[in-house]
Amino acid sequence: MPKCTINGKEIEVKEGTTIIEAMYSNDQKIAHYCWHPGLSVAGVCRLCMCEIEGNPRLQIACNTVITEGMKVNNTSEKVRDAAKWGLDFHLINHPLDCPICDQAGECGLQDQYMEFGKYDPEMAERKQKKHKVVDLGPTVVLDSERCILCSRCVRFTDEVTKTSELGIFNRGDKSEIGTHDGKPLDNKYSLNTVDICPVGALTSKDFRFRQRVWYLKDQETVCNGCSTGCNVKAYFNKEGFYRVKPQHNAEVNGYWMCDEGRDVYKYVNREARWLKAQKRTSAGWEEMLPGAAAKDASSVVKANASGTALVLTGQYSSEEYESVLKTFTQELGTKKVFHWVNNSSSFDSFDGLLLRGDRNPNTKGLLTAMEKFGLPASKWADLEAGLANGSITTVVVAGPENQVWFPEMKQVIQTLSKAKNLIWMQTGKNAELESLSGNVWLIPMKSYVEKDGTFVNYKGLAQKFKKVTTVVSEALNLSEAAQLLAGQNLMIKPETSVLVETARPADRVMQEHRKKNEFVMKRGTL
Amino acid sequence: MSVAQRENELQKWYLPGILGGLGITMKHMVKNLLNKKKMITLNYPEEKYEYSPRFKGNHVLTVKKDGSLRCTACMLCATNCPAECISITASEHEDPTVEKYPIKYEIDILRCVFCGYCEEACPVDAVRMGPEWQTPGLSGANFKYNIEHLAYRPQLKGGIQSVLDDEERHKAGI
Repeated sequence: MPKCTINGKEIEVKEGTTIIEAMYSNDQKIAHYCWHPGLSVAGVCRLCMCEIEGNPRLQIACNTVITEGMKVNNTSEKVRDAAKWGLDFHLINHPLDCPICDQAGECGLQDQYMEFGKYDPEMAERKQKKHKVVDLGPTVVLDSERCILCSRCVRFTDEVTKTSELGIFNRGDKSEIGTHDGKPLDNKYSLNTVDICPVGALTSKDFRFRQRVWYLKDQETVCNGCSTGCNVKAYFNKEGFYRVKPQHNAEVNGYWMCDEGRDVYKYVNREARWLKAQKRTSAGWEEMLPGAAAKDASSVVKANASGTALVLTGQYSSEEYESVLKTFTQELGTKKVFHWVNNSSSFDSFDGLLLRGDRNPNTKGLLTAMEKFGLPASKWADLEAGLANGSITTVVVAGPENQVWFPEMKQVIQTLSKAKNLIWMQTGKNAELESLSGNVWLIPMKSYVEKDGTFVNYKGLAQKFKKVTTVVSEALNLSEAAQLLAGQNLMIKPETSVLVETARPADRVMQEHRKKNEFVMKRGTL
Repeated sequence: MSVAQRENELQKWYLPGILGGLGITMKHMVKNLLNKKKMITLNYPEEKYEYSPRFKGNHVLTVKKDGSLRCTACMLCATNCPAECISITASEHEDPTVEKYPIKYEIDILRCVFCGYCEEACPVDAVRMGPEWQTPGLSGANFKYNIEHLAYRPQLKGGIQSVLDDEERHKAGI
């Protein structure tokens, strides 16, 4: 365990730690482009220069291993000067594209220029022209002029996905990132290259030009795309969600996430959602508020509670499963709970990196909750048989949020529509459901970004997530819907906030307030 | 308002004050009749006052040589706008040298405070504050100006050309 001093602070690090890693773990600031904690060291950007005592020249922090008694400094004038000139060399051929560049606002060059910029470039040569708007593949667009050749994306495809689509071509100032002929950047993790690009050279086709990043707020949450449960940051504004980026969690996803998981924000936005509930009977259909529809449907549920089946998908939080199962088993007394397993053929598959065939964030949570309430793992065939022989008359379905990963959706809807009463709760629109006739209630639900909860991932790791924002304010969560279906009323619990002194009787506040007002009134006429 | 009253002998009489006032009026009338050019009043609806080029009136979106919009939809004007009256939707242009352009650019002129921050923020001289300020309308009039109005309204006679040209910049190696 070598000891060293970094910027006057004495620290002890593990054997083999580089200076930049030590600085990162001790909250020290250091400029860098090519180094990324999830990738190998390249040492090409020459920006992480630091001064080591006894060493006449500056060294790069990313490729220098700490030795016993090393004294490192990266705040001296010499280091600042090196960073300044390093940055100026990066900017020799960098175009002034900031106004049309998607990276502007979260760009490494902009950030470092604010800190070390020369503000007076002495470069008299013309800028090197390279290819712009290069289509690298189905997800990524490249602008070679903006590229500073940090090689992060190249190392990513070499080391993480091991597909090696990207490479650096040509030499000197004509070097460019590119792909080989007929081999586009087309893998399941390609958009991570956009995240790790410190400049705007790689941009996502999906997010391109849709919003400036400074208009977006972000909040950490857990991806509901598959049972891995990657930690992500969702970027949104009042108009909806725009993108999802991975958030580092060494236990779950490291620094990465898959491209399919980045699409889930689309199913959360208003355009894809049910905003109002529908009650469809043979006489026609009417629009209702979600709460009213659930209340309305409670009559058929309660009329034949023993003939009511509950179909659950693994797309809801553990808290919701607990409360819905509690309501159904204890209040209504039905034991007919079925687990809808989607894409059963590829359910147990795994692509070796992150993406799992079980496209539900909380299958584990659902199975645990069912076990807790002593529900047997009832088979789908039982449900079909029950529908056929008439022992099941009412089916309550907690449908999927991400319908694209439920290929058998149509089939299931057809099977379940045989029930006398079908109560389908779901976030997103579905044309099949909206064209059903017979007694059908379609109730909009809250999506995973609109509620607090817990997802238990494939290895049993429970991850809590917080509400990000509200998209459809009238929508219900599964607990509320279950309560309403059981004929109960929704209670708004008084908020036990830390800001209000709960020990103090509420009345006293009022009295004091009133006294103050009286004093004001007595002061004289206005 | 408080007015200091000075008591003197002349004020006790009505006529001296009246005649003095009439005298001033007559003096100006004769002056204006003899030298019309120096007259400071305008026959308003027919004659209009010429404002300085720095006047901040209604916005103009400038165009390139080929008549297309100069704006690159960088949204700096919208970001800088204190009244939040500008709304832009960007899109990808077919021409890779243009790359980004606005498919919607709207200014809510009733919200605008005419501070001129938008033209100051613009990196490409795409939005300017023009000389017009008389833009009356009925209650049903549309005060949300769109691209059609901002860049190509009849008064602009085909559009104001921007001083900044991409081709020239590329030739200069910028």
